[in-house]
Amino acid sequence: MRKSLVLGVAAIALVSVLATACGRSKQSAASSDGAGANAGDKQEIRFGALVPSTGPNAEWGKKNTIALKILEENVNKAGGINGRPVKIIVYDTNQKPDQAANLVRKLAQDDKVLAIAGPLTSGECEVAFPVANQMEISIMSQASSKPGVSKANRPWAFRNTMTEDKLATVTMPIWVKHFNPKKVAVIYDAKDATSSTLGKSVLPSAAKHAGLQVVNENDPITFQSGDTDVSPQVTKLKNLQVDGLLLGADFGPASNILREMNRQGVKIPVIGGTPLISSTILQAHGEIPIVAPATFYPQNPAEGTQKFVKEFLARATDIPEATREPNMYDATIVDNIGIFIEAFKQSGASGQPGDLKSDRVKIRDYVAKLKDYKGIAGSISMDPDGDGIKQAYLLLAQQGKWVEIKR
Amino acid sequence: MGGKGAAVLAQQLVNGLMLGSAYALIGIAFALILGILDMLNVAIGEVFMLGAFLALAAIRFGLPWPVAVLTAMVGGAAVNLIIERLAFRPLRNAPPITPLLSTIAFSLVLQNVATNIWTSEQTQFPVDTGKLSFDLGPVRLTSTHLLIFGTALVVMVVLDFIIHRTKIGRGMRAVAESPEAAGILGVEPGRIITATFSLAGAIAGVAGVLLGLAFSFVSPMMGVQTGLKGLAAMVVGGLGNVRGAIVGGLVLGVTEVLSVAYLRSEYRDMVVYGLLFVVLVIRPQGLLGSVIPGRGRV
Repeated sequence: MRKSLVLGVAAIALVSVLATACGRSKQSAASSDGAGANAGDKQEIRFGALVPSTGPNAEWGKKNTIALKILEENVNKAGGINGRPVKIIVYDTNQKPDQAANLVRKLAQDDKVLAIAGPLTSGECEVAFPVANQMEISIMSQASSKPGVSKANRPWAFRNTMTEDKLATVTMPIWVKHFNPKKVAVIYDAKDATSSTLGKSVLPSAAKHAGLQVVNENDPITFQSGDTDVSPQVTKLKNLQVDGLLLGADFGPASNILREMNRQGVKIPVIGGTPLISSTILQAHGEIPIVAPATFYPQNPAEGTQKFVKEFLARATDIPEATREPNMYDATIVDNIGIFIEAFKQSGASGQPGDLKSDRVKIRDYVAKLKDYKGIAGSISMDPDGDGIKQAYLLLAQQGKWVEIKR
Repeated sequence: MGGKGAAVLAQQLVNGLMLGSAYALIGIAFALILGILDMLNVAIGEVFMLGAFLALAAIRFGLPWPVAVLTAMVGGAAVNLIIERLAFRPLRNAPPITPLLSTIAFSLVLQNVATNIWTSEQTQFPVDTGKLSFDLGPVRLTSTHLLIFGTALVVMVVLDFIIHRTKIGRGMRAVAESPEAAGILGVEPGRIITATFSLAGAIAGVAGVLLGLAFSFVSPMMGVQTGLKGLAAMVVGGLGNVRGAIVGGLVLGVTEVLSVAYLRSEYRDMVVYGLLFVVLVIRPQGLLGSVIPGRGRV
């Protein structure tokens, strides 16, 4: 009886691991209003979007969906595209690569969209981009910034983001000038694609290039996303006695590191990548000066940014106030669809069901040569690898806001 | 190197004991229900998570700290009772695996309910007790450390008192020994089940508040990993053995922290669950537990 219970416990442990690893996968269609092909209405021009509306970063997806809804309404209020309404079909990936890949297929085949914005993370892109290539449909991520992901999936994959290596070469010297560190250490999330690229190569090489000594480059401190307790890592960091930290992590895990650093009294300046930009960091960083690069920030006085932020705040009343401000990914996904709409108009695509294949090619060719598109935060161009060329800012967390550090 | 190495080790041991105390509390919650009622409630991890959120809600409502902890205890007990009503009671005559599965389902439901109410993002705990800290030589002890050690200790002593010195505790021990005999002797099993689930829920709720404090944040997913570790703590200590869960929790916490400190974080879960595996193979009854039904379990 007891023995079977021991077995039972083991089985349960296993099942719960599996359940947490691959459960919670809801194929929920978070369409802006009713998903699926609507054969009766031939006039509407469809685009797809993949966002994580459930799972560990559900807020990203929920806010992305709001941003897209605003865009859809604005475009249609202004008469749509040549008088035809635009429809953006939004699906939830649960931030799971396999789900993102399946949804690319669904959007391309069943919903017959012209192009797809998303998915958000590099982990999802690495799996979803090859499917888009195979289906011959343009796809453009709103956040993925791991170097090389679009390059590996030519010609249909794009990312409207600056990759972390490009950003780090711009921002590292500003950080060094501002905080004057000499010896730095690196900590990164070994489970996350972008974070580990940041920690293994991007940040250390940019730091060395800027004349810093990276003391633990060959023996980096790592943790795993999902770890709530990072006290041993911070104790290790404290023991290295450095005067700066290179942090490769998403904002959530990074917040755990920052709180633990405050607790253990390790108050040294920190630099990381774009995944740090979040209001969560603003609440968590305490007395630690932390900077990260961004291509959008809500306090930017630029007209396009302020208009977008105002519209977003008015609409996003469901989102708790502390995290209500639109983030970089919200601005970017709106620009992604905006770029597709521009491509549709400029390339002479017809939007007729029979022309779907040639329309998709036309859109791709236009996007691949995109030059100076007027986005929310500034002009956007595409480089030959399918990655964006955009204005980058170095932001410092200060008194509950991200503020720009001028070079 | 010697002195410095020892200082780092001492700090890591403190880190490990703090984590271990939290695992121990969750382990106790598992052990109570399993030891007394022979039921495994996998959703304890989510009761723990909800406890943390309820305390947070109470603080935001402007209630003082002790009231917030009380809210977490009452809330944890209430949630655990709901789980008993919905996931165990209708399945009393089903094979033992069925209620296990229904509690897994329950834990997913609770996670998603929490995500919809409080969002998936981490929510910061407004009080950071970490600000009060004492440097004992090279080792930094924060008031959070002391609070967690202290509370874990108090919970263990009170629990021991309830089980061994009160009427309801006598009933619990009788049911643990033999539900049938206890029934014949006039112990109402329904009352014992209610009492046990409430007690376990309250302890899980307290653990949630403590961990929320320790890490200064709460999130709907915080119960998943920690709940599983609490379960492992109980298994390592001895199935259904309350004192075993305490030992198991501390052993697990220290092992986990040391594996990160001296290996890489990639080995963390491998070492922890490897330890669980080794204990199950070498000492299937757990470090302190007896696998003979009704002996030394509570």
